[in-house]
Amino acid sequence: MMETSKQLHPGLWDTINERYPGSMITKDDYVPLAKLGKPVAESRLAFVSSAGVQPKGTLPFDVAHPVGDYNFRRVPSSSEPSELEIHQLKYPTVGANRDRNVILPIERLQELAREGVIGGLTPNFYSFIGYNMDPERLERTLAEEIAEAVADDGTEIALLAPA
Amino acid sequence: MSLKYLKDAVAAGDTEKLIRYVRLHLGDGNEEAGRREIDNAWVEALKPLLDVPPTDREFIHETLSTKDHATLAHLFFDLHFYLVKRSGEWIHDGNL
Repeated sequence: MMETSKQLHPGLWDTINERYPGSMITKDDYVPLAKLGKPVAESRLAFVSSAGVQPKGTLPFDVAHPVGDYNFRRVPSSSEPSELEIHQLKYPTVGANRDRNVILPIERLQELAREGVIGGLTPNFYSFIGYNMDPERLERTLAEEIAEAVADDGTEIALLAPA
Repeated sequence: MSLKYLKDAVAAGDTEKLIRYVRLHLGDGNEEAGRREIDNAWVEALKPLLDVPPTDREFIHETLSTKDHATLAHLFFDLHFYLVKRSGEWIHDGNL
């Protein structure tokens, strides 16, 4: 397949399609990384993760649905790791269950904010599960909704991390 | 597999592509594991009924009578994972 984005690892889709035939997703619109408006030490940071981490007591992500779950959860950035849990079938969660920071480095980011390395944290981080078979729905709903929420939180840096 | 791939398979009546997707989904990308998981779920569904214990037939009847087709299909997938988890043979990397 022709690589259409410099942001993708070469050959990534070929590997995916060996395991899941027909899952080819083409993206022709190259989206350049945004430049920082001000120094990191003065910027509020939001963390967006596909790890399926969520506050305890919230409705678990739907890992059974064959086409995926297109909802996200707000994770208060002041959370203690013990207040969070993971609902996700498709990656090994053993390490992350021992230490949430392995997959969602919430304590490390809190430390960086306290030390002034980053300007601060947005009130919420954002989490969803990455097993979604409808990329158009994901882009049209989930991605748009997270982007709006991130912007509404006054985010100046958004750190995106796949599980 | 993308949703378009699956919808094209439905339109073409290509059930082999559809069941292969189900096996891959239930087997975390391993088709043979998914096949075993389906068998495992049915065995786990059968075992508790062999002694014919009382069950909540009214709940089942009401659920099947009142809930829409998509909700019941969704429940079917949830029941699969519920049953394989009860079997104690959990092949998945993560948690429900």
